[in-house]
Amino acid sequence: MTKRNYATVNPCVMCQPMGSALAFKGIENTMILYHGSQGCSTYMRLHLAHHFREPVDIASSSLSEKGAVYGGRENLKKGLRNVINRYRPKVIGVATTCLAETIGDDVPAIIREFKEEEGIGDNPEKDIIIIPVSTPSYGESHVSGYIKSLDAIVRKFTEKPESPEKPKIPEDTEIMDYMENMEIMGYTDILEKEKARESMGNAKSPGMKKEAPYPIKTSNGKLNIIPVESVSPADVREMKEILAQTAGGYIFLPDISDTFDAPLRDHLPKIAPGGTPLSEIADMPDSRASLGLGVVSTNLAVKYLETSHGVPGHNVPIPIGLSNTDLFFMELVRILGCPIPEKYQKERGRLLDAMVDVHKYLYGVKAAVYGDPDTVFSLTTFMLELGMNPVLVTTGSKSRNFEKRIKQIFEEIRPELEPVVLDGIDFDSLKDAVKECSPEILIGNSNGRYIARALDIPLVRVGLPIHDRVGAQRILTVGYRGALELLDRITNIILEATDTFTAPVQPESEIYAGNGAENEYAEELQ
Amino acid sequence: MIEKTGIVDTLEERQPYITRKQEKGQEIPLACDNNSLAGAISQRACVYSGARVVLNPVTDAVHLVHGPIGCAGYTWDIRGAKSSGVETNRSSFSTDMKEIDVVFGGEKKLSNAIDELAGIYRPPVIFVYSTCIVGIIGDDLEAVCKTASKKHNIPVIPVKSEGFKGNKSDGYKAACNALKQLIKRPEKKTVEKKSEIRSESKKPDIKHSKIEKMEIKKPKINILGDFNVAGDVWLVKPLFEKMGIEVIVSMTGDSTAESISRAAEADLNLVQCSGSMTYLAKWMQQEYGIPYQTVSFFGIEDISIALRETAEYFGSEEMKKKAEKILEAETNRIMPEISRVRESIKGKKAAIYMGGPAKALTLIKGFAELGMEVVIIGTQTGKKEDYEQISYSVRDGTVIVDDANPLELADLLVKQKADLMVAGVKERFIAYKLGVAFCDFNHDRVVEFEGFDGFVNFAKEVDASINSPVWKAVRQRTLNPEPLEPKKTMVESGQEKATIKEEVSEKPYSKKCKGLAPKPEFLHSGQDAVVESEV
Repeated sequence: MTKRNYATVNPCVMCQPMGSALAFKGIENTMILYHGSQGCSTYMRLHLAHHFREPVDIASSSLSEKGAVYGGRENLKKGLRNVINRYRPKVIGVATTCLAETIGDDVPAIIREFKEEEGIGDNPEKDIIIIPVSTPSYGESHVSGYIKSLDAIVRKFTEKPESPEKPKIPEDTEIMDYMENMEIMGYTDILEKEKARESMGNAKSPGMKKEAPYPIKTSNGKLNIIPVESVSPADVREMKEILAQTAGGYIFLPDISDTFDAPLRDHLPKIAPGGTPLSEIADMPDSRASLGLGVVSTNLAVKYLETSHGVPGHNVPIPIGLSNTDLFFMELVRILGCPIPEKYQKERGRLLDAMVDVHKYLYGVKAAVYGDPDTVFSLTTFMLELGMNPVLVTTGSKSRNFEKRIKQIFEEIRPELEPVVLDGIDFDSLKDAVKECSPEILIGNSNGRYIARALDIPLVRVGLPIHDRVGAQRILTVGYRGALELLDRITNIILEATDTFTAPVQPESEIYAGNGAENEYAEELQ
Repeated sequence: MIEKTGIVDTLEERQPYITRKQEKGQEIPLACDNNSLAGAISQRACVYSGARVVLNPVTDAVHLVHGPIGCAGYTWDIRGAKSSGVETNRSSFSTDMKEIDVVFGGEKKLSNAIDELAGIYRPPVIFVYSTCIVGIIGDDLEAVCKTASKKHNIPVIPVKSEGFKGNKSDGYKAACNALKQLIKRPEKKTVEKKSEIRSESKKPDIKHSKIEKMEIKKPKINILGDFNVAGDVWLVKPLFEKMGIEVIVSMTGDSTAESISRAAEADLNLVQCSGSMTYLAKWMQQEYGIPYQTVSFFGIEDISIALRETAEYFGSEEMKKKAEKILEAETNRIMPEISRVRESIKGKKAAIYMGGPAKALTLIKGFAELGMEVVIIGTQTGKKEDYEQISYSVRDGTVIVDDANPLELADLLVKQKADLMVAGVKERFIAYKLGVAFCDFNHDRVVEFEGFDGFVNFAKEVDASINSPVWKAVRQRTLNPEPLEPKKTMVESGQEKATIKEEVSEKPYSKKCKGLAPKPEFLHSGQDAVVESEV
């Protein structure tokens, strides 16, 4: 392996503000502004436009040299003013870039000043809501930016007006480190803990009926769903459908199913319509429970809702694959007491059918996977269920918990396999690892295509960014239907790569070659 | 009467940047070449991007970005510049600064990174780009690079490209300064010849200087400002070679450290991307006495001018004849296709929004050759002289805009009734959503547009986009079947009223969405609404 400790060659992550863009664009009527130099917003717009094939507008405070020396106060205020004038959003997310953080701008204070000057109050009904988030790019990765932004959004909409603004998480705590404080729990343990809590809850209020698993306060009867990593718009649509048919009422944050996949309609609106309605976000503290999607990274928003508002929080893996989707459904049943609709039982049955149909093509096929920690985790679980052999499981973000979780899931399903698990890598190190493990198939985003080409390995494109194929926003991986589609793609790529069903070679005749040769029986046949 | 306001609804501060072409001879009242307005969502990027687009095509160099991961990550292989040799430039190298480096300084990490990369890749040159953070925390890039240079015996060149220190044009300058350090002084005898030329050309901006017939030595030129996007320059070099001229290097498309170092041996510089490379051309003229001419290799007229002026410069009758022969043969070869395309798209209207003015100008001519007229023209980084030239070349009524943003472009496309837009990927989807055809002329493209074959490709792409049947389908945006019973109200297309007769779904989200429609200020403020395009 090329040993490199200082230089990163071909990065496998994006920086924090990108995560905040993905989060804020999932809320209704929102614009996002990067406080920093203009390049940040232009480049991220380019990246997102390539992937989603949608126009993406991200404002910038265009910090110049003067701003860098004297502080970016004036630029930020001007930027906010202009964005409000032109786009008339209801919410503006202000994400800081490395430049703004390093020059030490106190963004919340500047925003407060701005609101005073412009006469913007704190009434969520009438006034514009401005949410600052601290996302310098020298922090962890776009995953942590996403998580932090969702946390800031939930806090902003749900903070009780009497209490002063709650202090944000101290900047030096790495989100991925939170797991160090928690015990490592297997899924069975998580479920046992919930059961224990359930009985405790019932014990506290014996007068409550035993039907609902959790005591409902002044509940709106809804379920909060918050992922820790960005999923595609098609994934969001699938989950919303599932929730509509099981939970009935749900609040999905952030909802990018329309903002990043807008249809071609008569108007080109300034802000893409769609996104989680603001009233619903404010309603989150009154939900029955929060379901966080993702177990490798800490879901700060779910945690906050639990600790500050008493909404019970549960975390399941992102529902990719059979067992993860099963867990998702079982959790829904446990929280809501609803039955699993027949439609999904059928889909599950079809997935089982498909898994059996293809099991021989996939058994023992060596695979390498890279991407965001929780997506990789769920994909790996799926591959293990199918009988594949993920020899190399990697993520670009640094995550202390990643290796433990991955090794754990291998223990549970295929203890005889010994994968190579790496986190915080770049593509060059990945290439070296791929050379050593020689997988037959590569699963991840488009950036790995040069490895696929150099080593002649097929690539199944999942994740962000995917810029060399179309349909990135329509890639479905969650739920039973997503598992089916993913299964088909993986299997077909392997069938093509191994040429399992070789087409015949038609014998060539000189007569067809047009050399003037004639069929000697032509006259008889006339 | 100069119509300054009201061309398109936009911020007060942006009005001076948009104007309409009036009668000839009038002073063009367009503000330009300033810093972008905060919050206006300019399409410009930063200084680093300017430096990166100019330097990235140097194929065998290691381009190391000293900064956090984002800058290197988003610029990884987005240039589309092709290489005939190694593709070291298509990897993205970064020092991936983390919080600890910001606090304690990143110089040590940088010098270690350079050592690592020099050892693994053994490149002939390393460019070290600085980013915003480096400018603030004060890492001494020059010192680190100097030490590394001595240690590894290769040029390690710092590029002062902190994102906030100016705008994209400053990035171009920083890149040119870096290139300067690679160009080596040629041997003595050629310098003497150059000093003759220098004494003849008194004014620094003289574009033309005749010299006596050259000796047996082959005439040499450089092409400045061609980045070989999609293989452009490979369609241009053969034309010169047929004329008997050697092209030493094109800056920076398909260039290597070695070929750049020989650039000073040229007799003439042809500058294509004037925005980025005029600075370097002027320096080469001062330093080495090499004159320069601004040319373009796009479109039949401009290529003809380029070849003829080059032949004229060298003053060789033989070369002029060869040039005429080439022009005639090539023009005849591509004329049938161009004529066919012209028949099918003539009269259509084009909108141009490019990064630099050189391409914008040459596109006006190119469209004229295809029979299309230009109704909107704008650039990100044009200067006053460039806009004057543009204004001279377009027809009355054309809107000229500097440093536009998406809302302005969307409004203009509709108001000016453009049929086709030529720009980059950030503008592509605005055009598509409005039903306007698009031609990608930016760094993303995969098809050559320069030279004669390139012009045919351009014509074909314009034809393919404008004449595609998808736009017919797009004309009817919403499906409105005839109601079966007369009492159900007919829905107006595009209006999402609450009386829509669709199945009421249980999905609370979609209900909320419909409920929002009556509050237009959240979706699009009244007069600002972009109206459906009539395409």
